[in-house]
Amino acid sequence: MKQSARDEILSKLKSAPREAVASRPDRPVLKELSLTRDELIEMFSKNLVQETGVVHRVKDREQALEKLSQIAQEERLKKVMIATDDVVAPLNLVDWGKKNNVEVMTPQDFGNRDSYIDAVFEEADAGITGADFAVAESGTLGLVHRRDRARLVSLSPILHIAVVPVERIVAIYEQAIEKVFREKENLASQFCFVTGPSMTGDIRGVQFKGMHGPRKVVAILVG
Amino acid sequence: MEIKTEQFSEVAKKALESAQSYAFLKLRANFVHKRRETALSTFPDAAAAQTYGAAIRREAIARLPELLEEFEKNALANGARVFWARNAKEANEYIVQLAKERGIEYVTKGKSMVTEELGLNEALEKNGVKAWETDLGEFIIQLLHLPPFHIVGPAINISVEKVRDLFIEKINLKEPTLDPAQLGYAARLFLRDKFHRVRMGITGVNIAVAETGTLINVENEGNIRFSKSSPRTQVSVMSLEKVVPNLEDALHLVRLLCRNCTGQKLSVYVSMDNTPKKDDEMDGPEELIVVIVDNGRSKIYQDKIAREAMRCIRCGACLSSCPVYREIGGYAYGWAYSGPMGQVLNPLLLGLERTQDLYRATTLCGACKGVCPAGIDHPGLFLQYRAKDVLGEKTFRARKRPGMERSFFRLWTWAVTRPWLWNWGVRTVRPFINKEVHEGVLRKVQGPFEGWFRSRDLPAMAEKTFHDRWRETQESQGRTQEAGGAK
Repeated sequence: MKQSARDEILSKLKSAPREAVASRPDRPVLKELSLTRDELIEMFSKNLVQETGVVHRVKDREQALEKLSQIAQEERLKKVMIATDDVVAPLNLVDWGKKNNVEVMTPQDFGNRDSYIDAVFEEADAGITGADFAVAESGTLGLVHRRDRARLVSLSPILHIAVVPVERIVAIYEQAIEKVFREKENLASQFCFVTGPSMTGDIRGVQFKGMHGPRKVVAILVG
Repeated sequence: MEIKTEQFSEVAKKALESAQSYAFLKLRANFVHKRRETALSTFPDAAAAQTYGAAIRREAIARLPELLEEFEKNALANGARVFWARNAKEANEYIVQLAKERGIEYVTKGKSMVTEELGLNEALEKNGVKAWETDLGEFIIQLLHLPPFHIVGPAINISVEKVRDLFIEKINLKEPTLDPAQLGYAARLFLRDKFHRVRMGITGVNIAVAETGTLINVENEGNIRFSKSSPRTQVSVMSLEKVVPNLEDALHLVRLLCRNCTGQKLSVYVSMDNTPKKDDEMDGPEELIVVIVDNGRSKIYQDKIAREAMRCIRCGACLSSCPVYREIGGYAYGWAYSGPMGQVLNPLLLGLERTQDLYRATTLCGACKGVCPAGIDHPGLFLQYRAKDVLGEKTFRARKRPGMERSFFRLWTWAVTRPWLWNWGVRTVRPFINKEVHEGVLRKVQGPFEGWFRSRDLPAMAEKTFHDRWRETQESQGRTQEAGGAK
């Protein structure tokens, strides 16, 4: 019987001369680990602002909703697609939308995948999601994609607003990853780090935002 | 993609004649280089971070077969499908078949060097499946039918005017503009429609994690995320050396990759795929298919020295550091991989015979080695390739050097190991050589050595050899001493 490509490739690799696995130097220590929470929040904000992200700090849910109203007005939002995750759901954005004259859609409103995708591509002026992490080391949002946080909500609309409880701030990527991958049997389909708006420098090295994804990213830190 | 590695000299010469690209290249390379330095300085100890990255890649390659098996086991357990391809033909046929079975009219692609290597786009299009490159730079060069100029900025050398004209012709740019952001926006609108209705997305893989079966993509534009969110089928194509032991290693490499590549702390998007979408998710792929590509790598792996090239993480830092790349740009290297990275990889993947110029067009200055986060010794490998080429090693598809050259060096070796003959030769040849010398420098000779002098010169031969002068000094000192003793 002809050997399968898999077995052939692996057996070739295995029969190659082995080299001893050299011991590694110590893993380099990252300075972010020694920072206090306030310093981490400051670092997160500074890093995200550097990437043209906008960071707001509010005290509580009420203020977060006020901030959202303000943004909705400034950006003239008519329709938004929202996640229904553990941060956004308690905000009760459907009611908020009625008060603010913004039509609020959730992926689950659509009976099927295609019509949801039509809406998130064609209709949503903004996507509003929660975030599982805010990583200080580079001003990065950590988003687990799952039933209540569809992937395109934070990607397809030109504006992405992320609401992040301030206790979700971590210093380095490893602290986020450790939590996401804790249950090996129940891994999320996808996890994303997002650092600022979509960007390119592919024409003559001139950088601009909003290549394929959002042109603007707003983080509202709550607490 | 067409392989043009044999035309190195020709294309390089053309690039050197183009004054515009020359000035731009230098400016660009300096800028990228500085950004990289600044980004690396955000590590408490940049050198230690680079060294640790090299250690990860060294270990990953040393443990390659077991890591691949572990990755496969976990990816399968996560619900992905895994296909192994011995070569480009098998990989392409499989992906074409996937597309045909699903009635796919077009796919969107994330920038992926391995699919350039496979010539996947050509294979798809031959079978009636349109492949849209969606990275802005790749999109531009696809419309222009050009190879990538740089691994990170494939179209970085194309003028804004040319992009404008291209977009007017090909994607209905309505208002002519020279603003790169406006041009980018036109491409956004055009490709957005593709993302909207796409049913199969194809991307490369930056890192595969053995411990968890995770696939990692690093990007700035969002086109890869779209290609993994919108369609029902996701095909991730990885060359088999992409695997690392665990997530911590992957994260360290991501930090290094972004800093070395674009001078960012982190790229805008780092997406990690574990499983196909769950039943209750509204987007993401229903099927997650991983294609593991060998295409000559298991053969390279047989050589303990050459396999060092497989550590490469495709950051492109070696390109902007290279004094040769800075002069000639990316086209001359003639294939998917350019700069020192290409000089190290292409000869292994394509064979030493058809890449002759690649491992010789180097100053061996080691700038590439100095910046490499994977710890590759490029100059060392170039010398190895030259040696293998001279010896005509069959496994590396080398051809021996021309008979004339080999005979010459046999004779040369014989002559220079016999001092009397050497000394006699020097005396005999000196007057003939020095006749051609002008202002103390020999710039040109006629005959078989003409080529050597194209970019080099030699000082005139000294009137006396070292031995002659040594003897004279000894003799005159002896006389002085004798004279002194007599005093």
